[in-house]
Amino acid sequence: MTVRPSHRNRPGAAGALFAYVVMTAAALLTLAPIALSTMTALRAPTDFLSQGPLHLPNPPTLENVTQLFTREDSFITPFAVTAQMVAVILAGQIVFSVMAAYAFAFLRFRGRDALFWLFISTLMVPQVVVIIPLFLALSELGLRNTFFALVIPFVFGSPYAVFLLRQNFRSVPQELIDAMRVDGAGHLRILWNLVVPLNRPIIVTLVIITVVTHWNSFLWPLIITKGPDWRTLTVATSALSTQYNANWTLVMAATTLALIPLILLYFAFQKQVANSISGTELR
Amino acid sequence: MMRSRSPWTAWLLVAPATIGVVAFILLPVLVAFGLSLTNWQLVGGGGFVGLENYRALLTGGALLNSLVVTALFTLMSVPVAMALGLLLAMQLNRALPGAGVFRVIVVIPWVCAPLAIGVVFSWIYQPSYGALNAILGRRVEWLTDPSLALPSVAFVAIWQAAGYIALFYQAGLQKIPSSIYEAAELDGAGPLRRLWSITLPLLRPTTFFVALTQIVASFQVFDTVYALTGGGPGRRTEVIASLIYSEAFTSYRMGRASAIAVILFVILALVAIVQQRYFSSRITYDMS
Repeated sequence: MTVRPSHRNRPGAAGALFAYVVMTAAALLTLAPIALSTMTALRAPTDFLSQGPLHLPNPPTLENVTQLFTREDSFITPFAVTAQMVAVILAGQIVFSVMAAYAFAFLRFRGRDALFWLFISTLMVPQVVVIIPLFLALSELGLRNTFFALVIPFVFGSPYAVFLLRQNFRSVPQELIDAMRVDGAGHLRILWNLVVPLNRPIIVTLVIITVVTHWNSFLWPLIITKGPDWRTLTVATSALSTQYNANWTLVMAATTLALIPLILLYFAFQKQVANSISGTELR
Repeated sequence: MMRSRSPWTAWLLVAPATIGVVAFILLPVLVAFGLSLTNWQLVGGGGFVGLENYRALLTGGALLNSLVVTALFTLMSVPVAMALGLLLAMQLNRALPGAGVFRVIVVIPWVCAPLAIGVVFSWIYQPSYGALNAILGRRVEWLTDPSLALPSVAFVAIWQAAGYIALFYQAGLQKIPSSIYEAAELDGAGPLRRLWSITLPLLRPTTFFVALTQIVASFQVFDTVYALTGGGPGRRTEVIASLIYSEAFTSYRMGRASAIAVILFVILALVAIVQQRYFSSRITYDMS
């Protein structure tokens, strides 16, 4: 019997062909909706109506995009609101989650395990369960339709982030931390000079997840905002698609603009994103 | 583990996150339970009605309908997305030239807002001006035909999840030592046999994680449905979150909506417990 060397990573010609067919089909299906949205966004409404939905822009026009930014409820506001909202939530979540995860990973204090258990137990709570009480409370306080209400439920950190960070922080050898303590370093210095640099990948992961989650969030901004002042991009896109439900070139300009920033950000950080997502598997 | 010089340091470090968890998750959950026992309206408040909301929900048709719709949506989307994700991961994982480009492309849906993608697909599915019917050359009412609406919504969810799932499966596949496959091949195991007897059992921890997170996410789906159908036609795509939204923010019945939210919460907790039991009772392989 002859022993053939076999490596699962080196498929035969038939296997390679099959792999390329699957990967190409997946790539085309993935790109099609985004390409169609972009293509339609660049078409004049009359061109769209006369030539049908599958025609290439002839000629490409920024008419729809311009209209989005110059009409009465300009898309500039939702862009600014979304960017500010994401920035504030990101800063709060990362700083506060890192602080808590450090304490849970390295410090001993009364009630620590009970408190950590409390954090874990809230991981399974669906967002839709908490939004009604939060909506009622913030409305009662007269804070409905404010920037404060958009960010406040998320700015204090998330149990998910605390959990993920703590699991990763624990791989830092306790002896290193003890040694720095002996040398007189305070907790903030240990955190900043040792724990954070050693855990940069997981922190980058959380930054990416937080940006994607909150840039794309819809339900909370939908219910807590009213009118054009504090609308996020998703809410503005949804409102526009209801208001102009036959003006597809304008609506696709909105969806394309809502999608493009994160897609570009993803291309810039795609290596980290790929590592990130699979690194979030909770063990 | 070191004892901090003063417990205040530790408490100060955990304080902000604890405030967040208590004020914005724990308390609201308790309030939701409380509200579910009232007939609270957005305007004018309300009073204690005991289990009246639950009685009305269990005897009325809307809750049952939304549970069935959500379960069907999950059954249509999660297994298909997982199977496609695994198929894709196995192809991406072969060291073929150019695979890196495909790997980058298939993750794009993960960064796309479900709401925006829902709006894009609401055009693609549109019967007269939509791209899909133009490609097919025939008129199909994708979102208004009662039997097609839910599968059409599920397709969008699959589009959004498959590449993301593939990332987890790729990570799982890379942990399987190739020596196992070589040994199996020497013993004459064909590709299907290797998939069934090696790949799938060794991927079980990944499958468990992905299935749990996908089912939990699927039971909370809202944005995609809101953008595509708003729950219609009739109530054919009215998932649980859509029903909660319409009870709370269209009918302003906060008590009734909270009761549905509590039921969803209990269902998701049960899903987590059952899955944990089921998977931990099966053999797992330590590959470390």
